[in-house]
Amino acid sequence: MKQVLNVFLIVASVAGLTLTASAQKTYTLGLVAKSQGNPVFQAARVGAEAAARELSAQHNLKIKIDWRTPNEEDAQKQAEAIEQLVLAGAAGIAVSCSDANKLTDAINSAVKNGVPVATFDSDAPASKRFVCYAVDDEQCGQRVMDELAKVMGGKGVVAILAGNPNAPNLQKRVAGVKTAAKKYPGIKLRDTFYHKETPQDAAAKVEQVMQANPDIGGWAMIGGWPLFTDNALKWPAGTVKCVSVDALPQQLGYLRSGHVQMLLAQQCYDWGHRSVELLIDKIHFKKNPSTVKDVSELVPVTKDNLEAFAKNWEKWLPR
Amino acid sequence: MKADAEAPTARRSWFARAPEAGLVVVILVLGLVLTIFGGSVKRPRIETGPDGNAQYAFTIGPDGERSPVFEEVNKFFNAQNLTKLAKDTSFTAIMAVGATMIIIAGGIDLSVGAIYALASVLAALVFQRFGTVGSEVGSTAGVALGIATCLGVAMACGVINGAMVTLLKVHPFIITLGTMEIFRGIAFVITKAQSVGGLPEAFRKLVLVETANKLTLVPLGVMVLVTVAGGVYLSRMRAGRLVYAVGGNELASRYSGIRLHWVKLSVFAFSGLSAGIAGLLALGYYGSASSGDAQSKELIVIAATVVGGASLTGGKGSALGAMLGALIIHMIDSGIIILGIDQNYSRIITGALVIVAVLLDQLNNWLARRRLTHAASGVGHGK
Repeated sequence: MKQVLNVFLIVASVAGLTLTASAQKTYTLGLVAKSQGNPVFQAARVGAEAAARELSAQHNLKIKIDWRTPNEEDAQKQAEAIEQLVLAGAAGIAVSCSDANKLTDAINSAVKNGVPVATFDSDAPASKRFVCYAVDDEQCGQRVMDELAKVMGGKGVVAILAGNPNAPNLQKRVAGVKTAAKKYPGIKLRDTFYHKETPQDAAAKVEQVMQANPDIGGWAMIGGWPLFTDNALKWPAGTVKCVSVDALPQQLGYLRSGHVQMLLAQQCYDWGHRSVELLIDKIHFKKNPSTVKDVSELVPVTKDNLEAFAKNWEKWLPR
Repeated sequence: MKADAEAPTARRSWFARAPEAGLVVVILVLGLVLTIFGGSVKRPRIETGPDGNAQYAFTIGPDGERSPVFEEVNKFFNAQNLTKLAKDTSFTAIMAVGATMIIIAGGIDLSVGAIYALASVLAALVFQRFGTVGSEVGSTAGVALGIATCLGVAMACGVINGAMVTLLKVHPFIITLGTMEIFRGIAFVITKAQSVGGLPEAFRKLVLVETANKLTLVPLGVMVLVTVAGGVYLSRMRAGRLVYAVGGNELASRYSGIRLHWVKLSVFAFSGLSAGIAGLLALGYYGSASSGDAQSKELIVIAATVVGGASLTGGKGSALGAMLGALIIHMIDSGIIILGIDQNYSRIITGALVIVAVLLDQLNNWLARRRLTHAASGVGHGK
């Protein structure tokens, strides 16, 4: 009798496990960032994958991240990726828009097909995305200029390093820098310098601009592109001031050496992590965010909190 | 002896008649692999509503909540996916048909992506200014003006390329490398790096018109038209055959009295025009243009022509081959997502494909030379 009971228990356990496994819901979430070459998006990917693992374990789900990011910035490729993800059965999509105009139709079409879309980093405000997780770009630009003006003592010639001229979020940051600069009569804006968003192209642009404009005393970098290389700022530490957005591991070296006075970290790991949380809330729990604009705060990193901040990257970097 | 000499000629004529047959086989095999291994996906069902229009099907639950009805379809082999594949292919294929003419003539055009960007941003600005209801030109006339701007500017860029190549006698690689930067720079300066959107619906509807099943077939239709037009021009018209003659042997063509300048000018003009057509379609489909559009597109276009059988040394290629080459490249791109493979493999596969295509072309040339040598020696012995 005991043997029969044991067999019954084993069969029941196996059946139970099988049922649990079959009841496990599977979600494939598309992640479309701007470009693969930019390390901030690699951190977003790591964040998304970590969130997928955590939420899968917490809620007995199977969440898979389908990373579909163009090699270089290309809004048409992003639109094609969104369309293909919808056709391939993605349950939700998170996208950082290289060109809001070009992606609006693709996002709306996905939503029409029952696939919710979240934007992160760079929004498509006219689209039917249900949430946007990003910094307030205008304020971000203003903050960069305010901090730079502080370290420059409110006077000197400033150049803006601006990345892709077509990216709407970067345009807003540039506008923010220009607005804030008006508050400082001693600050003179030399120009806005655009470049291909790769570290080498950005570093080359800084070098080229400094050759032609040796009087530049401060750089407002609305993205940290040149600081992803090791030898981008070829002036003695402290002679030219620099405040940059982002605080990736390579950038932290410039803070240590004194070439950069402050980094304003975007929560790029959270771009992916938070987007996945928001998507699962929407898809699985049928819960909408309280507001469409989910503002991500900038974290100031200086020599004082540098080492504590650096520890985060042990978790955030792809392995 | 006579039978032996005729045998290779018979084999060659089969290949000569259907040089794209190999590409069709590759496409069928790729399609079969994606259909079998792609799996299935649930998709909202579309049905005809009471007003006769297509709409998404819904069920109404006991609590009155509307839930969409899903149907299971093959991930690759379904109308929506194939239409999307055709749409993605169309932009590349249309440009590749123009580019293949230049390559057949022994040249190259690196500026097609920049022409696409410049023509589309200028057209978008014209649409914005004149294409809306209430503008001084009027909506329909404004739309026509925008279309004419896109095609006219693109063709003019092609003519500029062709004129510089022929008059300055500089290799087209150098000229188009320069104009690539110039055209994109002009687009950048004019738009101040802003994306130009807000296009009139009257224009967008021309491209976005849907069938009863909500399929957008205009890009596919235009691609087929451009390919047929390119094919007829190259294979059925005297001017098209001169393109092969010039690319096959420029010196011999000159001594034969062919006006090389006109042939070269015409192929660059056609290439520019094809970039304009592709830009116009994309403008209508995506609804905006920016100076950064179609960056690096020239490399994909050249890859499509090479995969399609065009020889970079000139004298060989076809419009149909260019279209099929573009289709193969986009099938790989699309298949990578359908199969859930890391996207970077598509670059490796496409790169490998270009090399294989060039190697096959060289092998084919070598076999052709060998056959000719054999045939010549056979005729010599016969004498």
